[in-house]
Amino acid sequence: MSVALELKDLRKSFGKTEIIRGVDLAITKGERHAVIGPNGAGKSTLFNLITGRYPVSAGAVHMHGEDVTGMAPYQINRKGLSRSFQITNIFPRMTVFENIRCALLWPRGYRYSFWQLLHRETDLNEAADRILDQLNLTSRRDLPAGVLSYAEQRALEIGITIGGGADVILLDEPTAGMSNTETDYIVNLIREVTVGKTLIMVEHDMGVVFDLADKISVLVYGEIIASGAPEDVRGDPKVQEAYLGAALEAEH
Amino acid sequence: MTDATATRASRGFALGASAPWVFAIVLVFVLPFLFTDRSAMTILNQIAITIVFALSYNMLLGQGGMLSFGHAVYMGLGGFFVMHMMNRIENLEWFIPLPLLPLFGGLFGLAFAALFGSFSVRRAGTAFAMISLGIGELVAASSIIIVAFFGGEEGISGDRTMGPNIFGVEWFTPGEVYWVIAGWMLLSAFLMYLFSRTPAGRMANAVRDNPERAQFLGYNEARVRYISFCAAGFFAGVAGGLFAINYEILGEENLNLVTSGTILLVAFLGGAGFFFGPIVGAIVFTLLQTVLSLHTNLWQLYAGVLFVATVMFFPFGIAGLLAMHIAPWKLGRFGGLIVPYLKTLIPGVVGILGLAAFIEILHHAKHAPIGEESMTLFWTEFSHYDALPWVIASALAVGGFWLASRFAGEMKQAYEAASTLEGGK
Repeated sequence: MSVALELKDLRKSFGKTEIIRGVDLAITKGERHAVIGPNGAGKSTLFNLITGRYPVSAGAVHMHGEDVTGMAPYQINRKGLSRSFQITNIFPRMTVFENIRCALLWPRGYRYSFWQLLHRETDLNEAADRILDQLNLTSRRDLPAGVLSYAEQRALEIGITIGGGADVILLDEPTAGMSNTETDYIVNLIREVTVGKTLIMVEHDMGVVFDLADKISVLVYGEIIASGAPEDVRGDPKVQEAYLGAALEAEH
Repeated sequence: MTDATATRASRGFALGASAPWVFAIVLVFVLPFLFTDRSAMTILNQIAITIVFALSYNMLLGQGGMLSFGHAVYMGLGGFFVMHMMNRIENLEWFIPLPLLPLFGGLFGLAFAALFGSFSVRRAGTAFAMISLGIGELVAASSIIIVAFFGGEEGISGDRTMGPNIFGVEWFTPGEVYWVIAGWMLLSAFLMYLFSRTPAGRMANAVRDNPERAQFLGYNEARVRYISFCAAGFFAGVAGGLFAINYEILGEENLNLVTSGTILLVAFLGGAGFFFGPIVGAIVFTLLQTVLSLHTNLWQLYAGVLFVATVMFFPFGIAGLLAMHIAPWKLGRFGGLIVPYLKTLIPGVVGILGLAAFIEILHHAKHAPIGEESMTLFWTEFSHYDALPWVIASALAVGGFWLASRFAGEMKQAYEAASTLEGGK
């Protein structure tokens, strides 16, 4: 099986503090991979390094075998990687429909065109409406995205992330701050929309992690201390000690 | 769903969107027959030019989230270029008819926007604002120094009537030039509207709302801004060309900070968040500038107060104020608003007029030439030494504002009741 995303001895320092201290990780195509770890372990930083939001201090990020280290976020995105954010990151003053449509523009080759009128692009508009339907947001279609409920905004965020049809998808705490019902809704949504894609997610809710992930990596103080199938990771004494035990206890 | 989407899209454009354009076209054709005298035509021309300039400015501010303090640069440069062309047409007998000239102004504006934009759009926010201010000052200062192009402090002038005569029109009167200006105004406004509906236009909104997110959708935020910036430069140049044709004289004041600041004010007053906001702003501001200035020397004070009041109470501008009433209208509750509105607004207007009268009398008492006591206000002649006018003005101001503030709460409640589904309960 080919590797979708590979991190090679990835490092990041802010000043003298090394936050990511040599991460090696290979994620195969079609895998659903969860990155877990205690607060401050560097999970979001890792995402920001992969997606080009922060410059890398040392090491490399490879996507489908190509070195994407040091590329700008939009360049990495064009290679087929898309991400969501821990804090809802949508276009609040635009309508829900337009939020989704914006996510479809580049992948569908519209680029910076100023000679095509979007309301005439039937295929594009239908595709955006289909995604809204999938997200259960059709009734909110023409509202400014900023007025949606928190759960709806999170769903929209995921819709924007997957809308363009990227094959590597990074979700940063997709269920953070949600009620149980809302979490179920989002988990089902994620499962549905990531079929056949490579998914990497940071998540605190262990229920969601064990429900969705094929593989789990545990990040503690900028290093991966364990990586493997959920059962193996769950049984790993190092993980128990560092994080998971406490978290699992807290769950019950 | 397919059909529904398609019809929704096409119908939305056919009915909802084309009605205002039809209205605008009719208005452009009817107005010259309603206002036939020369000064009214001059005002109409000025309004049309300001509309093009304000809409182009709003491609930056409202659509693209770029606060520019130097947009007059592109209008001014376009205007100077057209003026030089007009002089070449006169001296070298170039065969370029007058109605085409604004296009060249636009291209000249575009060229400089492409140059200055290349380094100023990398960041929005304060960095962009400061760079635009710097470029504005730089070009305004250069215009005094580079006499060959800008004509120094006197500026440059031309004669629009000397070109080839192909339509049998000599372009002598404001009424004749009106058709060139109004035609370009309609065309420019329509093109700018269409631009807002293209991928580049929509992504400009996205970058305005959330530049980082746009990056993670494959778009380079600087590139998106650059395209808007160039387009805005083009239409500012068109406005400059129209200005040159209309006034036949241009100087440093056409590209300096004051003009840049004024157009910011116009766009904001009308409502930068709406496409048609700057149009409303251009009409209101130009009328204040031309009509009000005929009646009082203090018009800038009133315009300033209006601007401050807009920023404080109606941050979405006049267009926002209009848009606020779409919901009551659609809910069929507009009728219920009329009485509460009249109860607040009539005393409010009386109060404003009273206050304005007081200020005018005060101004006259302080600044009129010695010996000139009599003044005319609201068709009444009196002396500013009489006590009665002072008393009446103060009483109207105090009484009007007192009544208005008493009913303001009721008006607000009525609005909330009329604009929400539950009826405000």
